[in-house]
Amino acid sequence: MLTFEGQKIMGSQNIVAKLTSLPFQQCQHQITTVDCQPSGPAGGMLVFVSGNLQLAGEQHALKFSQLFHLMPTPQGSFYVFNDIFRLNYA
Amino acid sequence: MDPDSVAKAFVEHYYSTFDANRAGLANLYQEGSMLTFEGQKIMGSQNIVAKLTSLPFQQCKHHITTVDCQPSGPAGGMLVFVSGNLQLAGEQHALKFSQMFHLMPTPQGSFYVFNDIFRLNYA
Repeated sequence: MLTFEGQKIMGSQNIVAKLTSLPFQQCQHQITTVDCQPSGPAGGMLVFVSGNLQLAGEQHALKFSQLFHLMPTPQGSFYVFNDIFRLNYA
Repeated sequence: MDPDSVAKAFVEHYYSTFDANRAGLANLYQEGSMLTFEGQKIMGSQNIVAKLTSLPFQQCKHHITTVDCQPSGPAGGMLVFVSGNLQLAGEQHALKFSQMFHLMPTPQGSFYVFNDIFRLNYA
């Protein structure tokens, strides 16, 4: 699941369709803070990020916060189960 | 009650308790609960409440701007992602913050905070 600025989207295909359709060609994320905690018996991990998002051609970077809930895969890796993204307006 | 209403009700209860009497937050956390407050990791209801009641201000008011929630998996948990402003008594400008809660169900049909991460959003 992804909640992007309040809009709820479900499933990898729909999520990637949303992210690839965002109205900019180029962007650069600069990460300021990363916090993490284990999320419970299923072996998941919560990752809480804040930073700046610089869009090509824009003078000022956008501030954002994002939460990922990672779940383990059988192969020993992780995938994103929950994803919530919010811009932090001044 | 649908998840969005549960999340909204929890957020209102949490911050009104925080703003009125921080010690009252103790029954929202349990022994295994974790708080990361501005990068500092604290574990267990007692230690968490000790941290929150020792924050260097007497009075504060949270104004909530956004609340997002999603179910967190098979255990019936719920993720709640909040952003807003924190006004400290006597300070001219409010502080911006983001906070995430991972709520877990209790046998009595309520929720407690298992994970809590708090960050100020500096300009």
